[in-house]
Amino acid sequence: MGADHRAFLQATLPHLDAVWQVARQAAAGGQDPEDLVQETYLRAYAGFGSFRGGNARAWLAAICLNVARSQARRRRRRPWEVPGPALLDVLPWSRADGGESTADVADVVIAGLDAEEVSRCLALLPEPQRVCIVLVDVAGYTAREAAETLGCPRGTVLARVHRGRRKLAQLLAEAGVSHGQP
Amino acid sequence: MDNHDRDHRMLAAFLAGELDPAETRRWDEHLLACERCWRAVREDREGRQAAQVLRQPAPPGLADRVAFAVEVAAAGRAAAQRRTGRGIRSRRPGRHARRVRWRLAGAGVVAAGVVATLLVALLPGGRQAGSVPAAVAAVARYAQAIPPPTGEHHPQRAAPVEVGRPVTVMAGGQQIVLRTWRLGGAEAVVAVSGHPFPMPARAQGVSGRGMAWSARLGRLGLYCLNGRTSELVAAPVPAAQLAALAARLPLA
Repeated sequence: MGADHRAFLQATLPHLDAVWQVARQAAAGGQDPEDLVQETYLRAYAGFGSFRGGNARAWLAAICLNVARSQARRRRRRPWEVPGPALLDVLPWSRADGGESTADVADVVIAGLDAEEVSRCLALLPEPQRVCIVLVDVAGYTAREAAETLGCPRGTVLARVHRGRRKLAQLLAEAGVSHGQP
Repeated sequence: MDNHDRDHRMLAAFLAGELDPAETRRWDEHLLACERCWRAVREDREGRQAAQVLRQPAPPGLADRVAFAVEVAAAGRAAAQRRTGRGIRSRRPGRHARRVRWRLAGAGVVAAGVVATLLVALLPGGRQAGSVPAAVAAVARYAQAIPPPTGEHHPQRAAPVEVGRPVTVMAGGQQIVLRTWRLGGAEAVVAVSGHPFPMPARAQGVSGRGMAWSARLGRLGLYCLNGRTSELVAAPVPAAQLAALAARLPLA
């Protein structure tokens, strides 16, 4: 075992959280997001020799999306189908960084239900808009990184994000959930 | 691109802060007068805030799990490269190279014999397991980190306590969940898989336990029960203690 896997981990592990955000939304048909992250890193490691030192975050996201799509095809399920129960674990008390645990129980429950509703509405968006929102708003990629991930112009990413956000807000308003400031 | 589409892209660029100061000022003024565009801005903000609700920190054990999976893959790749290297060298060489090779091969056979003798004589537990399947090797590699048992342990009285978090890896085409348990002064790794752990070449069947087997890898004892799920216990304890230790651990 040489030093190449250590170089690989050094270059890619700092982006684990971003890959995790993408994997949580991309995991389809009961697929475990942690398995998807692991498979993403194993595929990335297998192709690390051909990686030319560009943006590792964008490269990892592209692999993660490809793995999710190919596994979804294999399972013959709809891609980007987010399992409902998994969404309830966005509750604040599950934060690993020791986040607020003193929140009012009603607020916590409402936040969990909101997340479930947001996820349901997000799943209704056309895939290009959904992917752009996941990359930019959920995983925190810049428009440039998202464009590199998807192989399209940055202006296209910005337009998809904008259209997707508006549609998402409209769907949530129809469902009686509001996230905007008054 | 029609006017509507162009406006969309301009508004998206405005919201992303990517317009130059003059264009930004023009859009600011336009928004004060255009209810349609102002609604678009409001919906964009609401949609962004809603999407951010879905952010969740990565589970604490995920980095370790990923790093371990990559290490296992790296070990497998190194082994494959060694095999490929042998394959390339086996092309028919010239006469001089063949003569050198025969001499090297003779020296290699002698050296291998010496090393094998030393292994048998020096390794705890006597014989080293021969060909080790990838799934078993991955478990053994993970269990290498376990410290040897302390002298004062009383596993028959202690209750098992889980150490750290479970780790899931893929090795040899099978998914394996690894848990570390402490029982008295001894620690052990329990690996669970939906597929049977293949039996290493020098493992021994356990009489009266169906497809169970035990083996020794250096200082590690391995004890495997193959059933509907397959459990492999790895611990740095003598073979005589391993079955008793496994019986006290939560296996599935």
